Amino acid sequence: MAERTPRRILIIDDAGLVRRYYREALERCGYAVDEALNGLEALEKLLAEPADLLIVDVNMPRMDGLTFLRTLRRREGAIAAIPAVVVSTEAGPQDFDAARSAGANFYMVKPVPQDVLIEYVALLCGPAA
Amino acid sequence: MGEFAAVSQEEFSRLCDFLYRRTGMVFTEAKRYYVERRVNDRMGATGAGSFASYFARLRSDIDGEVEQFINAFTVNETYFYREDHQLRCLTADLLARRTAAKRRSEAVRIWSVPCSTGEEPYSIAMWMLENWAQVDAWDVEIVGSDIDTQVLETARQGYYGRRALMRLTPELIGKYFEPAGDERWRILQDLRDSVRFSSANVMEAAETSPHGRFDVIFCRNMLIYFDDASRRLAAENLYESLLPGGYICLGHTESMSRISPLFEVCRYPDAIVYQRPAERARG
Repeated sequence: MAERTPRRILIIDDAGLVRRYYREALERCGYAVDEALNGLEALEKLLAEPADLLIVDVNMPRMDGLTFLRTLRRREGAIAAIPAVVVSTEAGPQDFDAARSAGANFYMVKPVPQDVLIEYVALLCGPAA
Repeated sequence: MGEFAAVSQEEFSRLCDFLYRRTGMVFTEAKRYYVERRVNDRMGATGAGSFASYFARLRSDIDGEVEQFINAFTVNETYFYREDHQLRCLTADLLARRTAAKRRSEAVRIWSVPCSTGEEPYSIAMWMLENWAQVDAWDVEIVGSDIDTQVLETARQGYYGRRALMRLTPELIGKYFEPAGDERWRILQDLRDSVRFSSANVMEAAETSPHGRFDVIFCRNMLIYFDDASRRLAAENLYESLLPGGYICLGHTESMSRISPLFEVCRYPDAIVYQRPAERARG
Protein backbone atom coordinates (compact mmCIF):
# COMPACT_ATOMS: atom_id res chain seq x y z
CA MET A 1 0.00 0.00 0.00
CA ALA A 2 1.39 3.38 -0.96
CA GLU A 3 2.08 5.74 1.93
CA ARG A 4 0.11 8.95 1.90
CA THR A 5 1.90 12.27 2.19
CA PRO A 6 1.36 13.62 5.68
CA ARG A 7 -0.98 16.58 6.07
CA ARG A 8 0.92 19.83 6.15
CA ILE A 9 0.29 22.46 8.79
CA LEU A 10 1.69 25.99 8.87
CA ILE A 11 2.09 27.59 12.31
CA ILE A 12 2.15 31.39 12.15
CA ASP A 13 3.35 32.89 15.43
CA ASP A 14 6.15 35.28 16.37
CA ALA A 15 6.95 33.49 19.66
CA GLY A 16 9.48 30.65 19.37
CA LEU A 17 8.21 28.93 22.52
CA VAL A 18 4.65 28.87 21.20
CA ARG A 19 5.70 27.54 17.80
CA ARG A 20 7.70 24.78 19.46
CA TYR A 21 4.85 23.92 21.86
CA TYR A 22 2.32 23.42 19.05
CA ARG A 23 4.79 21.94 16.58
CA GLU A 24 6.02 19.25 18.96
CA ALA A 25 2.47 17.98 19.54
CA LEU A 26 1.62 18.03 15.82
CA GLU A 27 4.81 16.27 14.73
CA ARG A 28 4.32 13.63 17.41
CA CYS A 29 1.01 12.83 15.71
CA GLY A 30 2.63 12.60 12.28
CA TYR A 31 1.73 15.97 10.76
CA ALA A 32 4.32 17.78 8.64
CA VAL A 33 4.83 21.22 10.15
CA ASP A 34 6.28 24.44 8.84
CA GLU A 35 6.54 27.80 10.59
CA ALA A 36 6.21 31.47 9.76
CA LEU A 37 7.02 34.33 12.13
CA ASN A 38 4.34 36.71 10.84
CA GLY A 39 1.60 37.10 8.23
CA LEU A 40 3.89 38.33 5.47
CA GLU A 41 6.25 35.40 5.83
CA ALA A 42 3.24 33.07 5.87
CA LEU A 43 1.94 34.47 2.57
CA GLU A 44 5.35 33.97 0.97
CA LYS A 45 5.55 30.40 2.23
CA LEU A 46 2.02 29.53 1.09
CA LEU A 47 2.67 30.86 -2.41
CA ALA A 48 5.70 28.56 -2.63
CA GLU A 49 3.99 25.55 -1.06
CA PRO A 50 0.35 25.35 0.08
CA ALA A 51 -0.72 23.83 3.41
CA ASP A 52 -3.70 21.77 4.60
CA LEU A 53 -4.28 23.87 7.71
CA LEU A 54 -3.13 27.14 9.25
CA ILE A 55 -2.66 27.89 12.95
CA VAL A 56 -2.65 31.66 13.26
CA ASP A 57 -1.66 33.93 16.16
CA VAL A 58 -3.27 37.38 16.23
CA ASN A 59 -0.65 39.86 17.47
CA MET A 60 2.47 39.69 15.33
CA PRO A 61 4.89 42.28 13.90
CA ARG A 62 4.96 43.18 10.18
CA MET A 63 1.55 41.62 9.48
CA ASP A 64 -0.88 40.54 12.20
CA GLY A 65 -2.96 37.37 12.00
CA LEU A 66 -6.30 38.90 11.03
CA THR A 67 -4.80 41.11 8.29
CA PHE A 68 -3.06 38.00 7.01
CA LEU A 69 -6.34 36.05 6.89
CA ARG A 70 -8.22 38.84 5.12
CA THR A 71 -5.40 39.09 2.56
CA LEU A 72 -5.33 35.32 2.06
CA ARG A 73 -9.11 34.98 1.63
CA ARG A 74 -9.14 37.64 -1.10
CA ARG A 75 -6.61 35.77 -3.22
CA GLU A 76 -7.40 33.67 -6.29
CA GLY A 77 -7.02 29.91 -6.25
CA ALA A 78 -6.89 27.09 -3.76
CA ILE A 79 -4.77 28.75 -1.06
CA ALA A 80 -7.63 31.21 -0.34
CA ALA A 81 -9.68 28.33 1.05
CA ILE A 82 -7.13 26.71 3.41
CA PRO A 83 -8.86 26.21 6.77
CA ALA A 84 -7.48 28.39 9.56
CA VAL A 85 -7.53 28.14 13.36
CA VAL A 86 -7.00 31.45 15.11
CA VAL A 87 -5.40 31.15 18.56
CA SER A 88 -5.58 34.16 20.82
CA THR A 89 -5.36 35.20 24.45
CA GLU A 90 -8.45 37.38 23.94
CA ALA A 91 -11.72 35.69 24.90
CA GLY A 92 -14.28 38.43 24.23
CA PRO A 93 -17.20 37.98 21.77
CA GLN A 94 -15.93 40.96 19.75
CA ASP A 95 -12.55 39.20 19.30
CA PHE A 96 -14.30 36.05 18.16
CA ASP A 97 -16.42 38.03 15.67
CA ALA A 98 -13.39 39.91 14.33
CA ALA A 99 -11.55 36.62 13.67
CA ARG A 100 -14.59 35.05 12.02
CA SER A 101 -15.18 37.99 9.71
CA ALA A 102 -11.46 37.97 8.80
CA GLY A 103 -11.89 34.38 7.61
CA ALA A 104 -11.10 32.13 10.59
CA ASN A 105 -12.78 28.71 10.57
CA PHE A 106 -12.14 28.16 14.23
CA TYR A 107 -11.18 30.25 17.25
CA MET A 108 -9.28 28.94 20.25
CA VAL A 109 -8.43 30.84 23.43
CA LYS A 110 -4.91 30.35 24.80
CA PRO A 111 -3.71 28.43 26.72
CA VAL A 112 -4.48 25.60 24.31
CA PRO A 113 -3.44 22.21 25.78
CA GLN A 114 -1.58 20.08 23.24
CA ASP A 115 -4.20 17.29 23.25
CA VAL A 116 -7.00 19.79 22.61
CA LEU A 117 -5.04 21.30 19.73
CA ILE A 118 -4.58 17.86 18.16
CA GLU A 119 -8.27 17.07 18.56
CA TYR A 120 -9.38 20.19 16.70
CA VAL A 121 -6.69 19.94 14.04
CA ALA A 122 -7.87 16.41 13.28
CA LEU A 123 -11.48 17.64 13.09
CA LEU A 124 -10.60 20.36 10.56
CA CYS A 125 -8.14 18.59 8.30
CA GLY A 126 -8.31 14.90 9.21
CA PRO A 127 -5.67 12.70 10.80
CA ALA A 128 -2.01 13.22 9.95
CA ALA A 129 -1.84 10.79 7.00
CA MET B 1 56.04 25.03 38.66
CA GLY B 2 58.54 24.91 35.79
CA GLU B 3 55.83 24.94 33.11
CA PHE B 4 54.77 28.47 33.98
CA ALA B 5 56.42 31.80 33.48
CA ALA B 6 57.58 33.03 36.87
CA VAL B 7 55.13 35.44 38.49
CA SER B 8 56.40 37.15 41.62
CA GLN B 9 54.27 37.70 44.70
CA GLU B 10 54.04 41.39 43.92
CA GLU B 11 53.04 40.79 40.30
CA PHE B 12 50.44 38.29 41.40
CA SER B 13 48.80 40.76 43.77
CA ARG B 14 48.86 43.53 41.14
CA LEU B 15 47.13 41.19 38.73
CA CYS B 16 44.51 40.17 41.31
CA ASP B 17 43.91 43.82 42.09
CA PHE B 18 43.41 44.51 38.37
CA LEU B 19 40.92 41.62 38.09
CA TYR B 20 39.03 42.77 41.16
CA ARG B 21 38.67 46.34 39.92
CA ARG B 22 37.44 45.18 36.51
CA THR B 23 35.14 42.32 37.50
CA GLY B 24 34.62 42.23 41.28
CA MET B 25 36.07 38.71 41.37
CA VAL B 26 38.44 38.00 44.24
CA PHE B 27 41.42 35.69 43.82
CA THR B 28 43.72 34.89 46.73
CA GLU B 29 47.00 33.03 47.00
CA ALA B 30 44.97 29.80 47.24
CA LYS B 31 43.83 30.32 43.62
CA ARG B 32 47.33 31.05 42.40
CA TYR B 33 47.54 27.98 40.17
CA TYR B 34 44.19 28.82 38.56
CA VAL B 35 45.27 32.41 37.90
CA GLU B 36 48.70 31.48 36.60
CA ARG B 37 47.30 28.90 34.22
CA ARG B 38 45.06 31.49 32.59
CA VAL B 39 47.77 34.16 32.47
CA ASN B 40 50.04 31.66 30.76
CA ASP B 41 47.33 30.85 28.23
CA ARG B 42 46.97 34.54 27.42
CA MET B 43 50.75 35.06 27.29
CA GLY B 44 50.95 32.21 24.79
CA ALA B 45 48.08 33.64 22.73
CA THR B 46 49.59 37.12 22.61
CA GLY B 47 53.21 36.05 22.24
CA ALA B 48 54.28 37.95 25.36
CA GLY B 49 57.77 36.91 26.44
CA SER B 50 57.43 37.75 30.11
CA PHE B 51 54.77 38.49 32.67
CA ALA B 52 55.88 42.12 32.80
CA SER B 53 55.41 42.60 29.06
CA TYR B 54 52.04 40.82 29.18
CA PHE B 55 50.82 42.94 32.08
CA ALA B 56 51.87 46.12 30.26
CA ARG B 57 49.91 44.93 27.23
CA LEU B 58 46.89 44.17 29.42
CA ARG B 59 46.93 47.56 31.13
CA SER B 60 47.13 49.36 27.80
CA ASP B 61 44.34 47.12 26.46
CA ILE B 62 46.30 46.41 23.27
CA ASP B 63 44.09 44.56 20.73
CA GLY B 64 41.27 44.42 23.27
CA GLU B 65 43.29 42.26 25.65
CA VAL B 66 41.23 43.29 28.70
CA GLU B 67 38.13 41.61 27.29
CA GLN B 68 40.10 38.49 26.29
CA PHE B 69 41.65 38.38 29.74
CA ILE B 70 38.29 38.67 31.53
CA ASN B 71 36.86 36.03 29.21
CA ALA B 72 39.62 33.65 30.31
CA PHE B 73 38.74 34.18 33.98
CA THR B 74 35.00 33.87 33.98
CA VAL B 75 33.86 30.43 34.98
CA ASN B 76 31.86 28.92 32.18
CA GLU B 77 31.39 25.35 33.34
CA THR B 78 27.70 24.56 33.33
CA TYR B 79 25.13 22.11 31.95
CA PHE B 80 21.44 21.81 31.11
CA TYR B 81 18.91 21.39 33.96
CA ARG B 82 21.51 22.28 36.60
CA GLU B 83 19.87 22.74 40.04
CA ASP B 84 16.48 21.99 38.58
CA HIS B 85 14.67 22.34 41.92
CA GLN B 86 14.59 26.09 41.25
CA LEU B 87 13.16 25.49 37.78
CA ARG B 88 10.48 23.36 39.43
CA CYS B 89 9.77 26.22 41.80
CA LEU B 90 9.50 28.59 38.82
CA THR B 91 6.75 26.65 37.05
CA ALA B 92 5.03 25.32 40.19
CA ASP B 93 4.67 28.64 41.93
CA LEU B 94 6.62 31.76 40.93
CA LEU B 95 5.09 32.19 37.48
CA ALA B 96 1.54 31.83 38.80
CA ARG B 97 2.25 34.52 41.39
CA ARG B 98 3.83 36.83 38.83
CA THR B 99 1.09 36.43 36.19
CA ALA B 100 -1.79 36.79 38.68
CA ALA B 101 -1.53 40.58 38.65
CA LYS B 102 -0.45 40.99 35.02
CA ARG B 103 -2.44 41.97 31.99
CA ARG B 104 -2.18 39.55 29.04
CA SER B 105 -0.41 42.23 27.03
CA GLU B 106 2.44 42.40 29.56
CA ALA B 107 5.42 40.11 29.01
CA VAL B 108 6.73 37.62 31.54
CA ARG B 109 10.41 38.58 31.74
CA ILE B 110 13.13 36.19 32.93
CA TRP B 111 16.84 37.01 33.17
CA SER B 112 19.65 34.50 33.30
CA VAL B 113 22.84 36.25 34.42
CA PRO B 114 25.60 35.20 34.08
CA CYS B 115 24.35 32.86 31.36
CA SER B 116 27.71 31.56 30.12
CA THR B 117 27.26 29.51 26.92
CA GLY B 118 23.46 29.49 27.18
CA GLU B 119 22.70 26.25 29.03
CA GLU B 120 20.69 28.02 31.74
CA PRO B 121 18.44 30.29 29.64
CA TYR B 122 17.77 27.43 27.18
CA SER B 123 17.03 25.14 30.14
CA ILE B 124 14.48 27.68 31.37
CA ALA B 125 12.83 27.70 27.92
CA MET B 126 12.77 23.88 27.76
CA TRP B 127 11.52 23.55 31.31
CA MET B 128 8.67 26.00 30.65
CA LEU B 129 7.63 24.06 27.53
CA GLU B 130 7.63 20.83 29.51
CA ASN B 131 6.07 22.03 32.75
CA TRP B 132 4.06 25.22 32.39
CA ALA B 133 0.56 24.77 30.95
CA GLN B 134 0.30 28.55 30.34
CA VAL B 135 3.36 28.61 28.08
CA ASP B 136 1.43 29.63 24.94
CA ALA B 137 -0.76 32.14 26.77
CA TRP B 138 1.91 34.66 27.79
CA ASP B 139 4.49 36.67 25.94
CA VAL B 140 7.60 35.14 27.52
CA GLU B 141 10.85 37.06 27.21
CA ILE B 142 13.99 35.20 28.28
CA VAL B 143 17.22 37.20 28.30
CA GLY B 144 20.67 35.67 28.81
CA SER B 145 23.52 38.01 29.78
CA ASP B 146 27.18 37.61 30.57
CA ILE B 147 30.24 39.80 30.97
CA ASP B 148 32.08 37.48 28.58
CA THR B 149 31.22 38.35 24.99
CA GLN B 150 32.74 35.18 23.54
CA VAL B 151 30.43 32.85 25.48
CA LEU B 152 27.45 34.89 24.29
CA GLU B 153 28.32 34.17 20.68
CA THR B 154 28.66 30.46 21.51
CA ALA B 155 25.28 30.64 23.25
CA ARG B 156 23.62 32.16 20.18
CA GLN B 157 25.01 29.37 18.01
CA GLY B 158 23.59 26.77 20.42
CA TYR B 159 25.92 23.79 19.86
CA TYR B 160 26.60 21.50 22.83
CA GLY B 161 28.63 18.41 23.65
CA ARG B 162 27.59 15.37 25.63
CA ARG B 163 28.85 16.84 28.89
CA ALA B 164 26.44 19.80 28.75
CA LEU B 165 23.54 17.42 28.11
CA MET B 166 24.46 14.89 30.81
CA ARG B 167 21.40 15.57 32.97
CA LEU B 168 18.88 15.41 30.10
CA THR B 169 16.97 12.26 29.22
CA PRO B 170 17.33 10.92 25.66
CA GLU B 171 13.68 11.91 25.19
CA LEU B 172 14.41 15.57 26.02
CA ILE B 173 17.50 15.59 23.80
CA GLY B 174 15.44 14.14 20.93
CA LYS B 175 12.72 16.72 21.47
CA TYR B 176 14.76 19.91 21.68
CA PHE B 177 18.07 19.23 19.90
CA GLU B 178 19.15 18.18 16.44
CA PRO B 179 22.26 16.01 16.00
CA ALA B 180 25.17 18.06 14.67
CA GLY B 181 27.69 15.23 14.20
CA ASP B 182 30.76 14.22 16.20
CA GLU B 183 29.05 14.00 19.61
CA ARG B 184 27.54 17.47 19.13
CA TRP B 185 23.94 18.61 19.27
CA ARG B 186 22.32 21.91 18.34
CA ILE B 187 19.36 23.33 20.23
CA LEU B 188 16.40 23.85 17.87
CA GLN B 189 15.85 27.14 16.07
CA ASP B 190 12.57 27.83 17.93
CA LEU B 191 14.44 27.76 21.24
CA ARG B 192 17.29 29.84 19.87
CA ASP B 193 14.63 32.36 18.81
CA SER B 194 13.17 32.30 22.33
CA VAL B 195 16.25 33.61 24.14
CA ARG B 196 17.85 37.00 23.55
CA PHE B 197 21.54 37.27 24.47
CA SER B 198 23.23 40.51 25.49
CA SER B 199 26.32 41.49 27.42
CA ALA B 200 26.07 42.87 30.95
CA ASN B 201 28.31 43.28 33.96
CA VAL B 202 26.15 43.09 37.12
CA MET B 203 28.66 45.33 38.88
CA GLU B 204 27.71 48.22 36.60
CA ALA B 205 24.25 49.73 37.05
CA ALA B 206 24.73 51.48 33.69
CA GLU B 207 24.94 48.00 32.09
CA THR B 208 22.09 46.33 33.98
CA SER B 209 19.46 49.08 33.84
CA PRO B 210 19.04 49.11 30.02
CA HIS B 211 17.78 45.53 30.26
CA GLY B 212 14.66 46.75 32.06
CA ARG B 213 13.01 45.00 35.00
CA PHE B 214 12.36 41.30 35.31
CA ASP B 215 9.85 38.99 36.99
CA VAL B 216 12.45 36.36 37.83
CA ILE B 217 16.26 36.55 37.80
CA PHE B 218 18.49 33.48 37.85
CA CYS B 219 21.90 34.55 39.15
CA ARG B 220 23.53 31.33 40.22
CA ASN B 221 27.07 30.66 41.35
CA MET B 222 28.37 34.11 40.52
CA LEU B 223 28.34 35.91 43.88
CA ILE B 224 30.57 33.21 45.38
CA TYR B 225 33.44 34.69 43.36
CA PHE B 226 32.92 38.18 44.80
CA ASP B 227 34.00 39.75 48.07
CA ASP B 228 31.49 41.37 50.44
CA ALA B 229 31.63 44.86 48.92
CA SER B 230 31.17 43.57 45.37
CA ARG B 231 28.38 41.25 46.45
CA ARG B 232 26.47 44.11 48.02
CA LEU B 233 26.85 46.24 44.91
CA ALA B 234 25.76 43.36 42.65
CA ALA B 235 22.78 42.65 44.95
CA GLU B 236 21.68 46.29 44.75
CA ASN B 237 21.91 46.27 40.95
CA LEU B 238 19.95 43.01 40.80
CA TYR B 239 17.33 44.44 43.15
CA GLU B 240 16.87 47.38 40.80
CA SER B 241 16.56 44.93 37.90
CA LEU B 242 13.59 43.19 39.53
CA LEU B 243 9.99 44.30 39.22
CA PRO B 244 8.40 44.87 42.64
CA GLY B 245 7.36 41.40 43.83
CA GLY B 246 9.87 39.78 41.47
CA TYR B 247 12.08 36.87 42.49
CA ILE B 248 15.77 36.03 42.35
CA CYS B 249 17.22 32.52 42.44
CA LEU B 250 20.82 32.08 43.62
CA GLY B 251 23.05 29.00 43.64
CA HIS B 252 22.32 26.53 46.42
CA THR B 253 25.46 27.49 48.37
CA GLU B 254 24.69 31.20 48.20
CA SER B 255 22.56 33.20 50.60
CA MET B 256 21.23 36.67 49.91
CA SER B 257 20.42 37.13 53.59
CA ARG B 258 24.12 37.37 54.34
CA ILE B 259 24.62 39.89 51.53
CA SER B 260 21.77 42.35 51.56
CA PRO B 261 18.70 43.12 53.72
CA LEU B 262 16.73 44.32 50.69
CA PHE B 263 15.11 40.97 49.89
CA GLU B 264 12.50 38.80 51.57
CA VAL B 265 13.25 35.09 51.91
CA CYS B 266 10.74 32.65 50.38
CA ARG B 267 11.25 29.08 51.52
CA TYR B 268 10.05 26.18 49.38
CA PRO B 269 10.37 22.47 50.25
CA ASP B 270 13.53 22.08 48.15
CA ALA B 271 14.55 25.62 47.23
CA ILE B 272 15.04 29.08 48.66
CA VAL B 273 14.30 32.12 46.52
CA TYR B 274 14.50 35.80 47.36
CA GLN B 275 11.85 38.37 46.60
CA ARG B 276 11.90 42.09 46.04
CA PRO B 277 9.01 43.17 48.29
CA ALA B 278 5.88 44.17 46.40
CA GLU B 279 5.04 47.85 46.56
CA ARG B 280 2.37 48.50 49.14
CA ALA B 281 -0.92 49.83 47.82
CA ARG B 282 -1.44 53.42 48.82
CA GLY B 283 -4.06 53.73 51.54
